Amino acid sequence: MLDLAGVSVQFGGLRALDDVSLRVAAGEIVGLVGPNGAGKTTLFNVVSGTVAARQGTLAFDGADLAPLPTHARARRGVGRTFQIPQPMHTLTVTENLLVAQRFGAGRIDRAALAEILDLVGLSGKAGIDAATGLSLTELKALEVAKALATGPRLLLLDEVLAGLEAHGKRMFTQLLGAIHARYRLAILIIEHDIETISTLCPRVAVLDFGRLIADGPPGEVFRHPDVVASYTGRGRVDA
Amino acid sequence: MTDLVAQALYSGVLTGSAYALIALGLALVFGTMRIINLAHGELVLLAAYIAYTCESQLGLFPLLSIPAAIVVVCVATTLTWYVVGRIERDHELNSLLLTYGIGVMLTNGALLVWRADIRSTKSAWLQEPVVLGPLYAMRSEVLFFVVSVVLIGALWWWLTRTWAGRALRATASNRDAAMLMGIDPRRVQLVSFLVAGLLAAFAGTAIYTIGVIQPSLGISLTVKAFIITVLAGMGSVPGVLAGALLLGVTESLTTTFASSALQELAGMVLFLLVLFVRPSGLFGRRIGAV
Amino acid sequence: MRGRSLSALVVVLALYALVPVALGGNLYLMSMVVAALTIGGIALAWALLGNLGGLVSFGHAAFFGVGSYASAILVMKAGWPIAAGLLAGGVFAAVSAILMLPALRLRGPYFALAVLAYAHIFRIIATEWKSLTGGAGGIANIPRFPVVLGYDFSGKTGAYWIVLTIVVLFVLVYDRVRNSDYGLALRAMHDSEEATRVVGVNSTLLKAAMLFLSAFMTGVLGAFNAHYINFLEPDYAFSGLWTMLPIVAAIFGGYRTITGPVLGALVVYLVDQLVFKELMPIGHQIILGALLGAMILFAPAGMLPALLRRRGWRHA
Repeated sequence: MLDLAGVSVQFGGLRALDDVSLRVAAGEIVGLVGPNGAGKTTLFNVVSGTVAARQGTLAFDGADLAPLPTHARARRGVGRTFQIPQPMHTLTVTENLLVAQRFGAGRIDRAALAEILDLVGLSGKAGIDAATGLSLTELKALEVAKALATGPRLLLLDEVLAGLEAHGKRMFTQLLGAIHARYRLAILIIEHDIETISTLCPRVAVLDFGRLIADGPPGEVFRHPDVVASYTGRGRVDA
Repeated sequence: MTDLVAQALYSGVLTGSAYALIALGLALVFGTMRIINLAHGELVLLAAYIAYTCESQLGLFPLLSIPAAIVVVCVATTLTWYVVGRIERDHELNSLLLTYGIGVMLTNGALLVWRADIRSTKSAWLQEPVVLGPLYAMRSEVLFFVVSVVLIGALWWWLTRTWAGRALRATASNRDAAMLMGIDPRRVQLVSFLVAGLLAAFAGTAIYTIGVIQPSLGISLTVKAFIITVLAGMGSVPGVLAGALLLGVTESLTTTFASSALQELAGMVLFLLVLFVRPSGLFGRRIGAV
Repeated sequence: MRGRSLSALVVVLALYALVPVALGGNLYLMSMVVAALTIGGIALAWALLGNLGGLVSFGHAAFFGVGSYASAILVMKAGWPIAAGLLAGGVFAAVSAILMLPALRLRGPYFALAVLAYAHIFRIIATEWKSLTGGAGGIANIPRFPVVLGYDFSGKTGAYWIVLTIVVLFVLVYDRVRNSDYGLALRAMHDSEEATRVVGVNSTLLKAAMLFLSAFMTGVLGAFNAHYINFLEPDYAFSGLWTMLPIVAAIFGGYRTITGPVLGALVVYLVDQLVFKELMPIGHQIILGALLGAMILFAPAGMLPALLRRRGWRHA
């Protein structure tokens, strides 16, 4: 359903993405890993529309995404979370989801909204002001909830686990599994935690210096010499 | 025909040099304080009226009024720096409103003290034509062009070669990082205001000797300085120079081939064109691929 | 909520009925009130753009002037009825805002200045385009409000009712927009436009819509004023006062509220005309500038809200 082909992005002299081709099928969960600065968030930015690609094509369900602005892509079904949660501060948790539903999915469905809140564990915080009343974990949950409320068919998750301790990580991993089971959407997830990625994703893609250096099942990918070299310099990873 | 164009270009460059002084001041303050001083044009106006007062009340040659203009304008900018620094919330919005209020006070103050009549210099020496081949200009225009070049050169040297100037550029580029390096942003901001005031003082005296002044000029100058910064794009000092010259030349060409009443319009059209076609400015840095 | 709406209704009805009775004889005061309400309406439009659109404008005089001229010209040269002229004034002002759309991508302070530049330019156009606008001499003998259902609206009381109706309508529209889904999205946009975009909000379109709405409202008021004053000239129609007074009024009355700007206009304008102008016939606006500066430093949320809070009141 998502089809990137030969995508390149340049920021001044820096090649953030170099001839990247990646496909995500409907309902698939794909992990996206790589060292810091490899271009993972840039790839998300290209898909969501924040950044334009110099070269290459970007298709979603066969349709060209390039001419569409960010909000139009969101309405088409591309949902995205940010690494640093960006809630709508002046609104309550429920209002955050209402905006996402109204403008992303096109209509308000209170039942679906309640279900999402329940799924991410924010039912108790429905009326709370997003700016002041939420912990980091809850903010991340809201980030995911907002994206879900738009009724996406592809969910881009940018390091939702970052900054969480072991318990939080387990919780979120379960949450993602539950989301996938319930909504059957395609998920592309950026993470650094190799263990989580290996558990969650049947397929992993690896970026290094803007180039895609591996794409396959985690067992294979994490033994691939290029991948190992990019992470450690030399040696093997015992997966 | 080419004579006309050459003359227009020549006059435009001369005028543009005064505009450059005004626009640079605005840009400096914006760089360090991230605020647009809506009263900036009024500061230039203030200097112009001081030149007028010195000439009409004290019989002084306008150029001799420059020290007085510098003092008064710098006091005004220091006050502005002080009150703007006292804003606690909604800094961007409130500083705009505050400097707008200061501008209103200055314009009406000028109206109160000097009335609405149009004033200009009576010095015959300054108004004498200077002929350079087929090109003609007033002595004051040429004189202040030279002054501008010297000032801009000095500013450039100061920004790039002195520690104070570097501190200013550092703060403009990244305030927090500059603080971590031990630079006091408040001091740097005051310095930028003072430098802007200095430039404004010269620009005001120039305008008084070259053209006519009236209280409504303040806003008009702020608008022009703003148009120049948009033409230039953010973060580009050479861009401001080029933008100022471009505006000066455009106005001058319009006056020659259309009418002098339309010259302000010409600047606006230029502004709209750049806005539609190249919003980051003619010389601005293009960030990212968006 | 029901109680609030009812009391609001009572207040509005009282305004319609009692003010003309109380002041009807005093033409001078009535004209002050009409002018104050005009300023109040612009102040409301300005505050709407700021609060909902997140855009500060220093050039609302542009919209006012465009509306004035559009209506005057259409009514006088094309024979349109005045009611249509009022609407046309709004529409033309909104259309003129289209020129400002590229300025939307400028950062906050730059947008504010851009609108100022536009106001400047429209004034010059009005002065130079003599064939259309009568040039610097202006347009005289603009038709007054007609007789409708037997009542002659060309007098002060008639004008008062018309402008009061316009302002009341604006208040209602502002309230509806603010409480709608769009209002929610607009509020969210203040924090992070990108965050709203990724959930499907066309933030640019919404901001533009607020700009058009604010321009439309101001244009209608400009048109109203043209038929009330019956005379127009560029320096008057595009005067910086139509920008400055609404701003001071809105800040004074509390620009985050809906009725604050209108109330602020009533106080500020009346005090300016009846007190400041007496003290300082020329340059009395200096006091307004000082007032604005003082408010920003000491009471940025507005002086009326600060005063009311002391007495334990709150208003819409």
